[in-house]
Order: sequence, then structure tokens, then C-alpha cells
Amino acid sequence: MSVPHARGFLLLRRGGGLWGIANAAVDGLARHGVDYRITIGGNGGGDLVADEILGVVEDLRVWPLAPAVSRFWPEAAAGLALHGREPVVVVDPGRPPAALSAEGSEEGDRPDDEERE
Amino acid sequence: MNAPPEAGKSRLEGTHLLVRAGEYACALPLASVRRVVRALSVHPLPGAAAELEGLAEFGGEPLPVLNLGRLVRAPAGPNPTYPVTVVVWVGPTEAREMLGLACDSALEVVHVPAGSVVAGDGGFLLGEAPVGGEVVRVLNLEALGRTG
Repeated sequence: MSVPHARGFLLLRRGGGLWGIANAAVDGLARHGVDYRITIGGNGGGDLVADEILGVVEDLRVWPLAPAVSRFWPEAAAGLALHGREPVVVVDPGRPPAALSAEGSEEGDRPDDEERE
Repeated sequence: MNAPPEAGKSRLEGTHLLVRAGEYACALPLASVRRVVRALSVHPLPGAAAELEGLAEFGGEPLPVLNLGRLVRAPAGPNPTYPVTVVVWVGPTEAREMLGLACDSALEVVHVPAGSVVAGDGGFLLGEAPVGGEVVRVLNLEALGRTG
């Protein structure tokens, strides 16, 4: 079973995992030293952090998060998807997971010029 | 020609798949087992409990993979020689979901009489039963998918 197709996701890697954020929710993307900061709407102005930006995929089939996952992973998510054969956690922009939080990151003080609005 | 009475009976005997998880043998209801495959490549999910090994791909879909040994709190056994992922259905029939269970090995299909299961918690661990001279943990996979 899947929810209706959603279009346009920013794919990023963080903590060894692959994450997707609806492109429409992304307000900005900037490089900070060795990592990236992503500003998204709906998270109270807090930035997210990524180790690597893979790019934007236009089409991503999203499966709902299974109850058995929620039992062992105390985070919210919009669902799960696949990019190639690699699983993707699709982020709920209003409730991003702690693993993507920029708070406490050591790499926030060296912004580069590479920015998108 | 009439078939011997025992022939039909023997076809019904397999009720559970016996798997090894650490030092425990666990019996999974055969009707809930979709496939046994060589251990899938798992991508960890940051912040997850130890029971959730991570996410994998199976049949073109994302598949959460749970560590069966941690689920049943089995003491670690020797390093598995042929680790497998058992793809199972969990949850109630009307809302079942597919999960992977990382196990040390798949052993055999066995018959576990319902009357032989004792001392369970009424949830995921249905109870214990003697099978082939060993006490095995009989699991209720329907309970694993329940919320709350």
C-alpha cells in the first residue's frame, strides 16, 4: 500500500542514512564547512544538517511508516521510500528527526558562498 | 485407492519455522513467513532502539529489519555462519505489514501443538514449547505489529 505519489524531494545523507525532504518545504540550502545546512519551513526556524546532498529527485513513491517501526524509532516521519535500492526516510518538515538537527553540530560557524533560495 | 490415514495428517504437521537467534531457538508461525533470504543489507536508522537494525530493500519496497535476538532478549550465541533475514507479515490480518527479522539461521519446519505452549506473556512471546528435545520460544507475530 502506498500514499499518493509526491513530486520533488531533496535527498541528503546524514548519520549513514538517506533522507528525503519535500522540495517545496526547503527554504534554503547552504554549505557550512564540511556539511550542509538546510532551512525548511515549519520547524520553527531551526536548520537541519546533512553530511552530503545527493540532489533532487522528481518522483518518489512514499510508503507510510509502519507501526512496528514507530515502536522502535521515536521519531515522526512522512514515510519511507526507495532511491535505487537504498531506503529513504521521508522527513515530515514540521517534525524533523533529531538526527538531522543542526543544534549541537560543531560545523555551523563557517558558511560558504554556496547558497540557494 | 485410499490414501493411508497418516498421509493427510502429515501434510498438516508443519506449523512453525524454527530459527536460531543467539542462544534461543524461536518458532515463527509458518503462515506469517513470506520468505527466507540471505541476510539483507541493512541501513541503520539513527536514534532507533537496538531492536530495530535498520531499513533494507526487499521486492522493490523499503523493509524495516528487526533483530530477533534482541526482541526476545536472547544471550548472544556463536557468530552465525549463515545469517538470514526472515521476511514476515506482522500485525492483524486487516492491517498487516511486512517486516524482516534478522536471525542467525533458519533451522527447519516443525510442528508445535497449540496445547504444548506454556508460560507466555500474552503478547509477542506466546510462550515456550518443547520441540525436539529443546525448549523453543513460540512467537506471536500478529502482536508485533500492534500499536501501543
